[in-house]
Amino acid sequence: MQTINAKIDIQTIPSHGHVPERLTRQKPSVKHCDISNRKGLLVTSKPTSDKVTHEDLVLKIARERDRFAFKQVFAHFAPRVKSYLLKLGLDDHKAEDLAQDVLVTVWIKAEQFDPKKAKLSTWIFRISRNKFIDLTRKQKYPEVNADDHLTDMVAPEETDRPVEAMQTASIVSSAMTKLNPDQQRVIKLSFYEEMSHSEISAHLSLPLGTVKSRIRMAFQALRRELGEKE
Amino acid sequence: MKPNGLIPDEWLVSYAAGALSEAHALLVATHAEYHPELKDKIQEAEDIGGAIVNDVEPVSLSNDALDNVLARLDTTPAEKHSVTDQEIKTSTLPRPLADYINCDLTDLKWRMMGPGMSQVRLWTGPDDERLWLLKARGGTEIPKHDHSGNEMTLVLKGGYKVGEHHYTVGQIELADSETTEHQPVIDQGEDCVCLVVTEAPIKLHSFIGKMIQPFIGL
Repeated sequence: MQTINAKIDIQTIPSHGHVPERLTRQKPSVKHCDISNRKGLLVTSKPTSDKVTHEDLVLKIARERDRFAFKQVFAHFAPRVKSYLLKLGLDDHKAEDLAQDVLVTVWIKAEQFDPKKAKLSTWIFRISRNKFIDLTRKQKYPEVNADDHLTDMVAPEETDRPVEAMQTASIVSSAMTKLNPDQQRVIKLSFYEEMSHSEISAHLSLPLGTVKSRIRMAFQALRRELGEKE
Repeated sequence: MKPNGLIPDEWLVSYAAGALSEAHALLVATHAEYHPELKDKIQEAEDIGGAIVNDVEPVSLSNDALDNVLARLDTTPAEKHSVTDQEIKTSTLPRPLADYINCDLTDLKWRMMGPGMSQVRLWTGPDDERLWLLKARGGTEIPKHDHSGNEMTLVLKGGYKVGEHHYTVGQIELADSETTEHQPVIDQGEDCVCLVVTEAPIKLHSFIGKMIQPFIGL
């Protein structure tokens, strides 16, 4: 198994929140996604232009327990996971602690991550969601068993799939902005407030059936958008 | 909506968002085990969550955050592949439910709830939401009832009919306050076992039904 043939300049890795702004959002062209998702990571490619994705880094953690790879994953995701947890309503202290827990879990469960089955951002979202529910409701969120069997580890030189995965994450974001405001609202209340259908119905003073159909339509619109892009 | 035995998408989205109660989340996760297409949809809905995490404005961490975490890595060994693979193969239940009850159906304490019917209560939430298992002998007619709230029933074993609709293993039946005179009839033959979430007590029609309601715990 080869190591990733790229040198990463640690100085450019934002570790305490000074993460540069995303370059652009309007046009998720392949090139933009490519850059924006690797923000802050100055990858000076060696002879060949293997580029390192966060997915590659997690595979490297899984195989080699590579701390350097971990630091980079941490630099990208920890400030975002904390931000998401703050939006869910945790105070700064708890959000910080839980974000740290999430990243420790990434280290522990790295071997279970399979880029063929899930995008890294989705995998980390799941860990964050479950830990949040664990903490706030003292409850284990029943997991859909997405990883029935761990398939063979993808070698980092097969960069096609991980790169594509990162692009899709940005496509989802851009698809979100195309939803109408009503649809965006129910999706946000679901993901940021974890409101049930009946809670959204009460919150927006809408009939339950309307809430359900809005969520359904929003999801269909997102899937359509993604289907076109793929 | 015409029942096709599959849960509508809005429930998959809410599951992915973490917006479901323990009972509904377990029911959705268990249901999805029977239908790979639902698992795929859940993953697509979770991609929305992933995109949100990826796109959120990053905030600063405490100065010692990275050092703290690195120090913890030393003391936390890597977890190998899913721990319970071995156990799961021996269980006939879908994994989320097997993990939840942590034993087989026959190991549970079943309580009689009427002729040919028994139940196990698994969880009671706020607003009297309930998660329970129902076991009914082949051929049993469940007493006719109306619903004052939503009820979701997932078939784990056997099957039953409500009017024209036949529900079999892996399928879900949704009933709400517009569902009146609801009278499921269990298929002849083997026992039928269902995982049920009831949001509000159902209303039994007959006098005898009303008499036994407090005892059967519906």
